[in-house]
Amino acid sequence: MKRSFNIIALHCDGKILPETYELFNFVRDMGGETITFIILGSEPHVLMMARELAEKTGTDVICATSKYLENYYAQGYRDVLKGLVSTTDPCFICIPHTASGYDFAPLLAAALNIPCITAIEDIQDSLFIRSMFGGRIRAQARPSAPSAVLTVQPGAWEGSADYSGPGGTVRILPVDIPPGKTVIHGFKKSLSHDVGFCDAEVIVSAGRGIGSEQNVTLIKRLAALFPRSAIGATRAVCDLGWLGYRHQIGITGNTVSPRLYIACGISGAVQHISGMKNSRIIVAINTDRHAAIFRTATYCIVEDIKTFIPLVLEEYSRRSGNPVNGSS
Amino acid sequence: MLAILAALLYLCCSQRLKGAFSTGMNILVCVKQVPDSADTISVSEDSSRIMYNDGTVFRLNRYDEFALEEALLVKECFPGSRVDAISVGPERVRQAVRKALETGADHGIHVRVESDEYVSPLTRASLIAGFARTRGYDLILTGIMAEDDMECQVGQILAEKLSFACATSVMFQEISGDEKTIYVEREIEGGVRECITLAMPALLTIQSGINTPRYPSLSNVMRARSQEIEVADPQPADSLSMERSIIGLGYPKDAGTGEFLEGTPSDKARELLGILHELSMI
Ligand SMILES: Cc1cc2nc3c(=O)[nH]c(=O)nc-3n(C[C@H](O)[C@H](O)[C@H](O)COP(=O)(O)OP(=O)(O)OC[C@H]3O[C@@H](n4cnc5c(N)ncnc54)[C@H](O)[C@@H]3O)c2cc1C
Repeated sequence: MKRSFNIIALHCDGKILPETYELFNFVRDMGGETITFIILGSEPHVLMMARELAEKTGTDVICATSKYLENYYAQGYRDVLKGLVSTTDPCFICIPHTASGYDFAPLLAAALNIPCITAIEDIQDSLFIRSMFGGRIRAQARPSAPSAVLTVQPGAWEGSADYSGPGGTVRILPVDIPPGKTVIHGFKKSLSHDVGFCDAEVIVSAGRGIGSEQNVTLIKRLAALFPRSAIGATRAVCDLGWLGYRHQIGITGNTVSPRLYIACGISGAVQHISGMKNSRIIVAINTDRHAAIFRTATYCIVEDIKTFIPLVLEEYSRRSGNPVNGSS
Repeated sequence: MLAILAALLYLCCSQRLKGAFSTGMNILVCVKQVPDSADTISVSEDSSRIMYNDGTVFRLNRYDEFALEEALLVKECFPGSRVDAISVGPERVRQAVRKALETGADHGIHVRVESDEYVSPLTRASLIAGFARTRGYDLILTGIMAEDDMECQVGQILAEKLSFACATSVMFQEISGDEKTIYVEREIEGGVRECITLAMPALLTIQSGINTPRYPSLSNVMRARSQEIEVADPQPADSLSMERSIIGLGYPKDAGTGEFLEGTPSDKARELLGILHELSMI
């Protein structure tokens, strides 16, 4: 059977998101034979992006245009794609697992009455691999029907397009969609001046495993050992109000890459990892030997934060002869 | 007289009592029960299911706690509203429904699934849709994701099955005075929010941090203790509904390349400082 793939290209501010190219490599890994990109948007920007896709990948592109598609919206994407997909008849419709991707992918699957497998991280023995339970469990998935919608975890595949052959074709398809019931007001940037992550050589980050707000002091005292340090946090810690959202690191927070990242009581959820994985050295301290963070860490310490950090501080002051004070 | 009129007008326009003259919202919150900690679970020998042990403590999925709180906040804005909480699963998930009642939901529904196996999002959503279809909900809220299966699907599929408008990752919502539309801010990557208005009825999947979930009050706990939980026997809405694409479970293979520090806690502390010193970090 010929395996045909549709890749839904996502874009923002007139630029194709890198996750779109990651999907291209994902599909090639699966041995995709017939690949078609589908991109939705309004003229003129979408035409330029469609051409870029065709050139950089040598793949044919369907470019669906409507003035109502200037910005992403779920119902519009679902309706247009439902129509297009029934003409291209793919086995797999591949979508990046971004905030827009997972917004409409299950809608599209349900509208087409086919299964949807989300947040795919790997392919092993022709099965899709995805995380469960914060990365503690790996599930193997195989679509229960001949065709399916797949979403792919950002960063799981390389995003570079190394293609240099002839470009693919671009088919422009004006689509007639009713204005719809969704009103799009645009975007709002939350004014989050971060806490000096750029200048920090060392980031010490707190996870829920620190146990209580009081123990933020321990994190601060550990950070104070380093001359240029900053305090980071997981979303969980910010949700609890232990630290402000300015400290949040991860896919919906700050992206950092310090020389040293110390993860304290952090499980290592993929949404957190994607914001700190490019740190040069990662030290993880966690009571759970099987925590996912240990798969990313350079040095792994299975200890309780509450007893281990005081030990480190004590040992430090013993060595240096200076008592460690509690401020940062 | 004029003052009273003006006061009334003000009340109607103010956010808190926007629905002063409405009959209220009919709201459904979908709650899932998840194990509190992943270190009390294992995979069955045939790789088909998650096994829980005697130490497994179950709790509400945290994202659903934020969804429940948001529903209760809407109810406070629109007097006369009612909040139902529904959960799909084996007998044990009644605890999750009970917890929702204790927190302030008015009515609880348990959609019974006999076995404690993985249930796919499509099946879950179909079962909820089978129940919700005839109940005339104005607003359905779910968490953005279940902490155990991490699929981010049930809400969206449910919306599609019920022909509700849908938005995910919601960090702010406001229902219009005429109750016909809902303004929503969705959190996307990089600290940006997408702002849209949807037609009601709508389904929102709620992101953590949108509010501060309340603790159960004593009076609600007392009320919930004796309250009946409605049992709905599964009525899958269509043939694909027993769909299952997850075919095997296991542990991650790639152990990572990290080095585990060994010895006593003090040994590890010394070794860590030694490493940091060598890297000229301290
Ligand atoms: C769309 C979306 C976006 C998200 N964006 C982000 C994001 O940008 N950033 C982010 O961080 N998260 C994000 N999340 C949430 C993410 O999925 C995780 O829920 C979160 O990162 C978990 O935080 P945690 O590691 O602090 O808590 P948990 O997962 O609860 O982990 C706590 C860890 O502490 C350990 N522990 C417990 N006690 C101790 C102790 N005494 N000493 C040492 N260790 C201990 C435990 O073993 C466990 O591993 C997002 C989720 C979604 C759905």
